[in-house]
Amino acid sequence: MTSTIQRYYLTTTPFIPARHQAALLLEYALSRDMTAQNLLRGTKLSEQHILAPSTLVSPSDYLQLLSNLQSGLAAADTSFMLGQQLLPGHYGNLSHAMLQAGNLRQALNILVAYQSWLSPLLAPHLVEHSGHAVLYWTDSCVTPRLRGFIVEMMMAAVGGMSRWLSETKLPWRYRFNRTRPAHIEQYAVHLGPDLHFNDHLDAMSLPLEWLERPWPRGSEIAMSAALAGIEMEYGSSLLAGLYDYLHEHIRTGPTLEKASAAFGVSPATFKRHLALHGTHFQAELDQVRIHVTLQLIQEHGYSNDQIAAYLGFHDVNNFRRSLKRWTGLTPSMLRLQTQGFQ
Amino acid sequence: MPQLNHTALFSIFALLLTTSLLYASLGQAHPMSAWKWMDIVGEGGTAAMAALWALLIVSSRPGGRVTMLLAGGLVTIMLGAWADCLDEFFAIPSTQYWDNWLEALMPVGMLIVTIGLYYWRQEQVVLNEHMQKRERLFRDHRSFDRITQLADASYLYRQIRMQQENHLGDEGMLVLLDLDNFHQVNREYGQREGDRLLQAVSHLLLLNLRPQDLVCRYAGDRFAILLPDMEEIQARWTAAHLQQAIATLAHHTRDGKHRINLSARTACARADEDPEQLLAKMNARLEAPSQAAMHATPAVS
Repeated sequence: MTSTIQRYYLTTTPFIPARHQAALLLEYALSRDMTAQNLLRGTKLSEQHILAPSTLVSPSDYLQLLSNLQSGLAAADTSFMLGQQLLPGHYGNLSHAMLQAGNLRQALNILVAYQSWLSPLLAPHLVEHSGHAVLYWTDSCVTPRLRGFIVEMMMAAVGGMSRWLSETKLPWRYRFNRTRPAHIEQYAVHLGPDLHFNDHLDAMSLPLEWLERPWPRGSEIAMSAALAGIEMEYGSSLLAGLYDYLHEHIRTGPTLEKASAAFGVSPATFKRHLALHGTHFQAELDQVRIHVTLQLIQEHGYSNDQIAAYLGFHDVNNFRRSLKRWTGLTPSMLRLQTQGFQ
Repeated sequence: MPQLNHTALFSIFALLLTTSLLYASLGQAHPMSAWKWMDIVGEGGTAAMAALWALLIVSSRPGGRVTMLLAGGLVTIMLGAWADCLDEFFAIPSTQYWDNWLEALMPVGMLIVTIGLYYWRQEQVVLNEHMQKRERLFRDHRSFDRITQLADASYLYRQIRMQQENHLGDEGMLVLLDLDNFHQVNREYGQREGDRLLQAVSHLLLLNLRPQDLVCRYAGDRFAILLPDMEEIQARWTAAHLQQAIATLAHHTRDGKHRINLSARTACARADEDPEQLLAKMNARLEAPSQAAMHATPAVS
């Protein structure tokens, strides 16, 4: 079980080349008449730093830059405009590989596999069920205040990338774990008309056949060659790594002790690292249980008894109570809510 | 943030200091027990506020006659009030009259500000003409988009609601216009070129509409045009005309090396329902596959 210990990055780990996203934010800020000084406020970075090839920034630096941009420009389209430029982006071989992707599945696989560089703040997960491909996002390094902004940015990134490389507007359906925003027109124009709010997930989905449709620029050989040259220090963030671990071991009663052992750190260190991201083990476990419950309902049409048994609850009332605690909803209300998205 | 004008700030301090020294050297200091605090606060406060207003005017307006009159008038008011205030601290011998003249500056300053406001009104009439088709009936500076200087969606919603309240049965028509393949311009030429293109298109739209029409930047590359007092057939004709104008626009990149060919699609509806629902429907119509240029040729030549 602990055979594949993956190194995870923390929000304070400097590992993202500054000339990737930070340089793009700098260029955008300058194009919108925001000074470099205002953009870099609260970080230890300078304009020269960002343009230097060897500079590495941490996710929290990236967050600070986004926060400065958001408040400095005070425009409703900032997240969408940035997102459109993030993918395939200018990340050397990684961008080349994505540019040569033969279809949507290959492009999304690159996004998920190389998320620590392509999407260091929000972790993408690709699943398939009931005839749909679903790309949903969970936290890697976000603050509650910036979460909505980053979700908009990353969804616009994937939507824009797939539209450009496929040369077709794909029929993405967007769901958001937030209330209806005031700037709904930005969503409608930059993402599309198929928008749903007050969901339990931040997800974008489309019919499965779109995954395999060949893309005009695709070249499998060029893509593999570009990917072969890439070496990344970190596979994923602490929270994304833990999410995947919990998802895999959800039926065997995961604990903080077992999880920390799987990641090769002491429980105390693991706890401290989680606290650094503003969360704790139980909250992460509850989140995975909600997601698994939703998947079991939507994908397999499980009954409450079956779900309770799957998640290791002694009886169904116990499960019902817990679900109420996690989501504020009873199983039947949850079913009613999720029916609309089939 | 308005830039603080250091010269203006320095001049105001110099004036205040000179007046104070004048009173201190020529007058007799009152004992503290004789100070009238209410008067000091009232007159000193008036001077401070007038100074602040003068600074705000100088830092937020371009120079010129109106700015000079407004700021100069306020500085004169400030001097008058300050002299009044210093009068509370120092007794000037009644044989001297200069202090009375200083205090009389207050009404003079008010007169200058009044003249300034009169010219400001004239200036505003000229500016309003410039803003025509960008705003109607009321102004809200927070609603203006910085790229195109057009109002945004929330301003449009309020305009539609106002039109519905004030002109029952004559709500006007709404046209929603979307550029085809605009995202490719951003990709191929960079987002600065995209911004320039949006500016060009907004100018083009403004030139091709009546004075009473309103153009808003709905979001991204989508524009909304409110056409009051118009029948549906006219509105469809207007929409087709705008599409044609965009198709014949010869927009060149900044380096002059490429010409970007454009096309647009439109949706048209009577503005007689809740604006947000109306726009949601029109958005869906714009995105409908029959209309969308799914496999259109790239907007590049």
